[in-house]
Amino acid sequence: MKPNKSKQVWLVTCWEFMHFFKWKQELISKLIMIAIAAMVYFWQVVKNDDVTIYQIALTSQSVVLQSSGQFKFEYVDSTALSAYELLQQEDSKYDAVIAIGPKIPSEQQQLILTVNDKQSWHSNLNTEILNQYRQTIAQQLNLQPNQLALLQTPVSISQEYADQAIKSDDEVSDTIAIVMIVLMAVGIFTSFGQLFASITGEKQQRVTEQLYSCISAQSWIDGKILGQLLHAIKAMITAGITGLLGYAFMAVVINEQSLDLAMIDWSFIPWLFIFSLLGIYISTAFIAAVAAAIDDPNHSAKTSMMLLPLVPVALVFMTMDDASGWAMSMLSFLPLTSFVAMPVKMSLIDVPLWHTLLSLVLGIALAAWLRSGAARMFKMGMTMYGKEPSVGMMFKWMIKEPK
Amino acid sequence: MQLLVNQVLKQYATVKAVNHLSFNVNHGEIFALLGPNGAGKSSLVKMLTGFTKPDAGKISVTIDDVEYDAIPNWALGYLPEDRGLYPEKSVIDNICYFAQLNGMTKSEAKEQAAFWLEKFDLSERKSDQLKSLSKGNQQKVQLISAVIHRPQWIILDEPFSGLDPVNQEKVVTFLHELKKLGMTVLLSAHQMAMVEKIADRILLMNKGEAVFYGTLGEITQQLGSNNLVVASYVHAIDQEKITELFPNDDVVQINNTKLQVVCAEKDQLNQVTDKLTKLGALSSIQCQQRDLHQIYIDAIEQHGETSHEA
Repeated sequence: MKPNKSKQVWLVTCWEFMHFFKWKQELISKLIMIAIAAMVYFWQVVKNDDVTIYQIALTSQSVVLQSSGQFKFEYVDSTALSAYELLQQEDSKYDAVIAIGPKIPSEQQQLILTVNDKQSWHSNLNTEILNQYRQTIAQQLNLQPNQLALLQTPVSISQEYADQAIKSDDEVSDTIAIVMIVLMAVGIFTSFGQLFASITGEKQQRVTEQLYSCISAQSWIDGKILGQLLHAIKAMITAGITGLLGYAFMAVVINEQSLDLAMIDWSFIPWLFIFSLLGIYISTAFIAAVAAAIDDPNHSAKTSMMLLPLVPVALVFMTMDDASGWAMSMLSFLPLTSFVAMPVKMSLIDVPLWHTLLSLVLGIALAAWLRSGAARMFKMGMTMYGKEPSVGMMFKWMIKEPK
Repeated sequence: MQLLVNQVLKQYATVKAVNHLSFNVNHGEIFALLGPNGAGKSSLVKMLTGFTKPDAGKISVTIDDVEYDAIPNWALGYLPEDRGLYPEKSVIDNICYFAQLNGMTKSEAKEQAAFWLEKFDLSERKSDQLKSLSKGNQQKVQLISAVIHRPQWIILDEPFSGLDPVNQEKVVTFLHELKKLGMTVLLSAHQMAMVEKIADRILLMNKGEAVFYGTLGEITQQLGSNNLVVASYVHAIDQEKITELFPNDDVVQINNTKLQVVCAEKDQLNQVTDKLTKLGALSSIQCQQRDLHQIYIDAIEQHGETSHEA
């Protein structure tokens, strides 16, 4: 019976994927993520449903504050007690005490806020007091609300660029670009670490000859790369979701703000996905070929070559400050670096569609050439034991299969 | 269905691993490849499986009237000399993976795996991790992985190594069964007693060349007599006396107190024994038939001398 090649590739893909997929570990990490998501959700619900009202005692009638939102201000005539004693009384209902401080040379009034301990609502109380005082002073000065607003924000500064391609919201696009690089690095690191372990392991366990007797080097390398590609996608999605959950946790639980995902350009995600797949494919094909030539990972000098796929990430990181500069433009078309450079550039500036498509086509062409070249290197390297091929030999194999 | 090897040469730098070798393997036979270490067996096997290509000469495999330059993957079951499967995976997972790679469905693979595991007394260990099995049992699992898909051609490199005598016998039975199923088996081995039991034909190689090729009977005929007399003496043997008593006989001095004489005819045995008693005080004397092991050693020594002289 003649086996179907695509079925063989799929079998190797599944075998490779399942080799590194540990159910228990996956289940635990996903449960932790669900728990964080649930915590963020319930925190938001509970916070909206249950607003705590804080009772604030005012020890002087000259402090004029109106109850508002979560703060209830109440004048207390207890000159015999200090603010500290007022809070510490057994049946005290107060969460904070505001007293007048000593006069200072300017016209500014000084208030002393005494509380039991450090709590996050204190900053909200400060803001509330400042707002009420601002409005009182504005009324005393006969200022209209718009005049008050003008005083608070006297001028609005917006930055514009001669290069109109640069996206206006600099800070956000920079953050997205860095997130992009990090996600790509996660994918590349995951796939190349695992593929390296898998290939050198198979070589050391002497499975290669048995495998070669039933499957071609091309189908084998295709299956292995696809399996690792699936792992890289899983790792990138997991890292992306974990990052989002972390952001949500910080925003909602720690900072008590609402979750705002408006900064994410969802239309950009498919491009990121395509370039990531291309980049991971190129780097895993390269790693597969090099790893196949390594006889003993503990003593081989070629293990340093495994760091090469990180070079594009580092280059883009160094040049991304000038997204429309010549270096970034060159890197975004060069197939060895375009898979990182182009998506980063797209997140920073507006890129014409044909630039993106050309970069993609060049990348696919390189991936196709690497696929067959790597299979040749893979085949020769995997059947060599005892003596490692030289780098020169490896490049020769990349171009032509020896006898 | 036939395998033809014609004047095949494989050279690594200046070393001729396989030197203009020719032979053929017929459909349904068990063909044994013999030779000392470095004889070129592995280089030959690598060319037959298509892992490498010959530098000169031709290999042709005909299957269903189609000619191939090596045994195609889909028609091959291969047990390599460098053994190994996935130690962390279970026995059944390992076998089913290779069966599926060879085109079987999962259910067929499981069914066949159960059949062969039963034959090798490994049914109860099927869910165990491969690494938990003894070396011999791991080898049996690898043997099953190589043939589970019932290929037309099977190449087994050292199938008996690492097995105890009981399991070696099991492998012999197993190979007979494969033959009955219509498979052609090409094996290399050093266990001559096993090869003698199962091989239909033999190719004895040394330094990349064929030393002998044919059935065991044909090889014996080529080598001359099959009868040996081995004599051991109390004291060292006198060289001059040996030349004097055995001027035309095939005599091999094993050491200074031990001698081996080949008798061309069986009826010469008494005459040879008489001559041997005249050489000195005997400690022992034995008449024996040359087995494949002896033929192998004699032939390799003889070929070594010839190629050295050449």
